[in-house]
Amino acid sequence: MILALVIGLLVAGAVYLLLQRDRLRVILGFVLLSHAVNLLLFSSGGVFRRGEPLGSDPDPATTADPLPQAFVLTAIVIAFAITIYLLVLAVTGSRDEDDTDTDTDTDEAPRPDRKEAGR
Amino acid sequence: MTLLGVVALGWATVFVAPVAVRVLKRFAGWALAALLVVVLVSLLSVHATVGDTGEVWPWIPSADIALRLRIDGLGFLFAVIVLGIGAVVMVYSTSYLRAPRSPGFYTLMSAFAAAMLTLVLADDLVVLFVAWELTTLCSYLLILRSGPTARGPATRTIIVTAAGGLSLLAAVVLIIARTGTSDLTAALASDAWNQDPAFATAAAVLIALAAMTKSAQFPFHSWLPDAMVAPAPVSAYLHAAAMVKAGIFLLLLFAPATSASPTWPILLISVGLFTAVMGGAFAVQLTDLKKLLAYSTVSQLGLLVALIGVGTSEAMTAATLHVIAHALFKSAAFMGVGLIERRTGTRDMRELSGLARAKPWDAAMVVLAGLSMAGAPVMVGFVSKELMFESYLDAPFPAPLVWTLVAVLTLAAVLTVAYSTKLVLPIFRGHPMDVAPWRSSAAMSLAVSVVALTGLVLGPAVPVLDAIVGPAAAEAAGVPRSEIHGLSLWHGVNPALLLSLGAIALGITLGLAYERRRPDPRTTRLTGVDVVEAFQRGTIALGERVGALTRRDSPAAHLTPPIVIIGAAALTLPWTAGAIALPGTQDWLLESLLAVIVVAGVVAVLRASRRLTAVISVGVVGFAVVLWFFLLGASDVALTQLLVEILTVVVMIVVLRRMPRRFPPARTRRRVLAGVAAVASGVVATVATLVFTGQRPLSAVGEYFLREAESETGGTNVVNTILVDFRALDTLGELVVLGIGAVAITALLDARAAVERPSAPPPGGALVSASENSVFLRSAGRVLGPVMVLASAYALLRGHNAPGGGFIAALIGAAALVLVFVSAPSDDVRALRRSYLGIAGAGIVIAVGTGLLGFMDGAFLRPLHLDILGYKLTTALVFDLGVYLAVLGVILAAVDRLGLTPPPRDPAPASSRRPNRKEAAR
Repeated sequence: MILALVIGLLVAGAVYLLLQRDRLRVILGFVLLSHAVNLLLFSSGGVFRRGEPLGSDPDPATTADPLPQAFVLTAIVIAFAITIYLLVLAVTGSRDEDDTDTDTDTDEAPRPDRKEAGR
Repeated sequence: MTLLGVVALGWATVFVAPVAVRVLKRFAGWALAALLVVVLVSLLSVHATVGDTGEVWPWIPSADIALRLRIDGLGFLFAVIVLGIGAVVMVYSTSYLRAPRSPGFYTLMSAFAAAMLTLVLADDLVVLFVAWELTTLCSYLLILRSGPTARGPATRTIIVTAAGGLSLLAAVVLIIARTGTSDLTAALASDAWNQDPAFATAAAVLIALAAMTKSAQFPFHSWLPDAMVAPAPVSAYLHAAAMVKAGIFLLLLFAPATSASPTWPILLISVGLFTAVMGGAFAVQLTDLKKLLAYSTVSQLGLLVALIGVGTSEAMTAATLHVIAHALFKSAAFMGVGLIERRTGTRDMRELSGLARAKPWDAAMVVLAGLSMAGAPVMVGFVSKELMFESYLDAPFPAPLVWTLVAVLTLAAVLTVAYSTKLVLPIFRGHPMDVAPWRSSAAMSLAVSVVALTGLVLGPAVPVLDAIVGPAAAEAAGVPRSEIHGLSLWHGVNPALLLSLGAIALGITLGLAYERRRPDPRTTRLTGVDVVEAFQRGTIALGERVGALTRRDSPAAHLTPPIVIIGAAALTLPWTAGAIALPGTQDWLLESLLAVIVVAGVVAVLRASRRLTAVISVGVVGFAVVLWFFLLGASDVALTQLLVEILTVVVMIVVLRRMPRRFPPARTRRRVLAGVAAVASGVVATVATLVFTGQRPLSAVGEYFLREAESETGGTNVVNTILVDFRALDTLGELVVLGIGAVAITALLDARAAVERPSAPPPGGALVSASENSVFLRSAGRVLGPVMVLASAYALLRGHNAPGGGFIAALIGAAALVLVFVSAPSDDVRALRRSYLGIAGAGIVIAVGTGLLGFMDGAFLRPLHLDILGYKLTTALVFDLGVYLAVLGVILAAVDRLGLTPPPRDPAPASSRRPNRKEAAR
């Protein structure tokens, strides 16, 4: 129950940030979304068996499902690589193209070429 | 020797070719010609000793697809042509090619010969298709490498022929699905062809389409004249003798089965005869001899297609004989024109003159080719043309139809004679022109002479071809061998002879008339090339339009469709979901505590106006998630997340230096809309989680892993055994993604420099002096660094049995390097200047190499277990090392390319900044 609420909260925060203009906010939204999805994956495997899948002959009745764990482990690393890539994207380009610049381009600044895209 | 041996020998020439070019340089063609002759001789011996025979070599047994080979009459005839003409063309190339070394040319030509040989000997539909596509590829590459102007024609060629390949694929799939076997002989013998007219018609049309693209039939003919940018050997071999005949081969091969469909003869005869007349009409107007020959090929192939459509045993005899005749005279003509071009510098008939006196022998050979093409008496082309007329006259059609077809055929024959006349005119007319010196054209002359004289000799000696034409024609017509009449030069005075002679007389008159009038070749006509071009442009434009639907630079616009779709799906929840069982919670106190932390973190991120605050808040959320993972019994995952959090924060801080310190203010409208969307999706996510997850028992797979991990892999860390053993292929894919990530980061920063933002530290305070500021971290780093490196190695080694493994170990190692970077007094950290792409690449190579080792035990990526001095070793550990390196590579790439750029202390001019960055990149 609490896990489901937290997943909902993370998704809400992620969606809010993803819908912003600033690139760093979008990236942070992506990070929150990946947390939410990872927890969701765990949740899909059942969260009531919480024993570590370690050691000889673990008891299936009490041990956590190792499959979602393996999924999540790779998902974390992939999400990390994507995050780095997004961060690189956020800071490439010359400064006058950089639309995060507060003084030249705010949300209200009329940029005909961006206007259509923003809709 | 077996049939498989013959085909293997054919493919061996591909590997011999580069070596031969290295050793023999220009004369490599002789060696390859000799090899092809050896293949031919071994084929003849196989055919002579065992006759029609099949061989099966397992390939994909689970799908009943095998490397089935079979030598029958049809395959034998085409194989002889492919190898024989191939050898001649190889000899020709030794003298024709300009470059002293052309490994690419010889390799591709050998590959083409081998692919063609496989195609005609294939007895499996899938093998047939693969070989078919290989010939398409070879043709594309051979056209492509013939110069900078060749790109367009090469692309157009592959578009048309690959479309035909798709048609063949569809036919293959259809036939396998309907007849239940990929065995070609069995599939062709299936009852389905006669019992299921819809299937027969569909397959017939698909096969005919494939053949029509390959054999340049209307409306797909345009690629063949287009492909004339290729050098003469390629034109002579691929675009006259062999590759374009693959379509004819396909039609002959399938004719006994597909002729069950009434569409088959109608389609083939109409398309074939139309193409024959059209190609002839175009050829007559042209002055570029090579283009003229190309259209002539289109026309002759049309005649063949139509003959196969007629389908009687007589027509099939004519078709198979004409395949041989055409291969001989057309390759001779192409090579002859190539020779003339090399010696005179032109192949435009308006500039050529008096070749008979300038180069008498070569001129005579071209004349022989022209005579055979025109169907002049005693040439082999004459015999096949006669048979062609006879088979139409005897065709089992109503009389008016027969006479219409014969009239059209006569028209095509007249045009053929007319353009053949044009081909030989420059040889006799005018003053002898200067012949430019060329190294030695002896090999070229030899090659042209061999094929041209063979065409002459085989006219009177045509009965010797009985043994090869007879069985092929019988198979194509689906009749016993005894029903095929023997070949002879003289059939007596009959309507066919009269028609043939009449066509010759009319054709010469027409050719001379065209020659006298010399009409300007029309250039404005809508050509097939334009059509293909327009199709290509249209396809690309359509793709752009489809892509434009989702191509926005605003994430919000991009995300709207998926969010709306998911939202719509959520509306169905009340109906699809059963009762929401609110499960009880274990550790509710701890979970509530963590939930509070997450809430605080998320709220802080949303409210933050400074970037640093937002980054740190996200870090807080991340650490709470880490603890949650521990709570859920996933220590491996938690450790990974923990290290990823640390490194993410470091990379973000590095990037923050290049951004303004505060977020730009967002518009109220956007905030409200985003807020609504956020709340809605949050609610949906919570409900969906409750409805769909958390209630099922342990998955069967999960249970299997838990029970069998130790006995199957020797490891007791089940998650790790899944990653490096059970599902290692997934992990391998992930490594490649990481490697691509490293490459992408590098490429991006190579293409567009990261923005530089001189961020002056605030005046006063400890931050002013970077070196004093980092004293604490430096001191700690001296101790922590080595410990972390050791911990990294330890985590890697123990990963199979306890929390750890390649991912975690690499993250610890990267954290050690990042610590060195963070604590360094300046951005110039030599310890981090590693070739990160090399490291990531090595990781992938090691992982793949380990995977290949698995073949020793029967399967890719199967770990090998060794017992050395009581220690159990497994190659899964080596695989994990690959994981380690790939992860390390991508992190180093980011830190090195983003972090190590010293921000200029003083506002330096832009020009001096660039080299700085470049240097850092090294």
